[in-house]
Amino acid sequence: MAVSQERITVYNLADLKNTSDDAIPNYLNSLKFTQSHRLTDVRLSLGFSAFTLAAACFLWDYKFGFESTKLYTGVAVTIYTLLNGLLTYWIFYVEKGTIYEGTAPSGEKIKISTSTPKKTVPEYHLSIEIEPPKKAKGGKKESFVIIRPFTEWFDAAGHFVVAPFQGMLAQSISVVGKADPKRAAPPAGAVDQPPVYSPEMLAALADAQVSVVGSAAETATTGSDAAKKAAAKRRKA
Amino acid sequence: MFSSIGNPRQAAAQLMNFGLILSTAFMMWKGLSIITDSPSPIVVVLSGSMEPAFQRGDLLLLWNRNIQAETSVGEVVVYNVKDKDIPIVHRIVRKFGTGPNAKLLTKGDNNLSDDTELYAKGQDFLVRKDIIGSVVGFIPYVGYITIMLSEHPWLKTVMLGIMGLMVVLQRE
Repeated sequence: MAVSQERITVYNLADLKNTSDDAIPNYLNSLKFTQSHRLTDVRLSLGFSAFTLAAACFLWDYKFGFESTKLYTGVAVTIYTLLNGLLTYWIFYVEKGTIYEGTAPSGEKIKISTSTPKKTVPEYHLSIEIEPPKKAKGGKKESFVIIRPFTEWFDAAGHFVVAPFQGMLAQSISVVGKADPKRAAPPAGAVDQPPVYSPEMLAALADAQVSVVGSAAETATTGSDAAKKAAAKRRKA
Repeated sequence: MFSSIGNPRQAAAQLMNFGLILSTAFMMWKGLSIITDSPSPIVVVLSGSMEPAFQRGDLLLLWNRNIQAETSVGEVVVYNVKDKDIPIVHRIVRKFGTGPNAKLLTKGDNNLSDDTELYAKGQDFLVRKDIIGSVVGFIPYVGYITIMLSEHPWLKTVMLGIMGLMVVLQRE
């Protein structure tokens, strides 16, 4: 099973999200999806033109002084404010956390945006939009949300585990599953049966005050992660 | 940590974020300059010549537009001496004439004599355009940071370095 060499801090939600975000384009592009960089390119050009304007303003201010360049500086400040406002608008209302935009080999357009809305809950929220190819008439735009705990594809040491992550994508997104049938089928042998806990056992665990996060959990309860996962599944069912 | 280096767009985005922090700070300063019509709308008091009104390290907010009335006697102003770029905060004590060519004399509240000695050679008085703003507000002590930074220049390098590192290493 492929496990990343790099380790992240499992308590850092931003790290968890960024690592997962980076893995999605890698995976989809390896499946011959064509990525579109439209959103990023617009953001970059807005940001860099604002920066260039500020740099130019700095230069003329430095060279010719304030009084003689007041008018230009005023105009530059106005344009800079506009560009920055546009950039903010673009990031919050157009990109909205989009990390992948592309076309599947089968022609569908796919857009994936991710977020971690609760700062204390390590869950990965994926919003997915799929648009059927233009030629196929009557196809409907489809959008749905996947919510999965990061524990499914990060081990306790902070390594990113590729197989369950790609499996998660292939099994829940039809377009990805079509492109990667091997991952789309749940792996044989690895049955998803969670271990059965009796109420007594859970009470005993609670009495021992075993925390489900932190290093104590790793040593004391190797099963508690599975239990949490099972709970998450039950919630979704 | 440096995983973004393999991806040019991500690297560019990180560079952009860092650049925008700097440029936004600069443009906010310039915006304030434009609004107040002063090349340096915020200055730090460097000497005790205006005690007890202002102490070393006070941050002064300036306003350089004469919307309602001309700058006149009694106002605390910041001016630049001809060909010298050190802003001085003193009070106007005499004014002869009106308009942009009125002759102004300044003096520090805590000084024994007026500023004629501080002015450049051949300059016996100030005119309106020597002034970069009248003091309209102040924040005590805050300016001490910049005094520290200018007296110990290596602190600047350290601060810039830390800020740069933080932006590069953290991607929130």
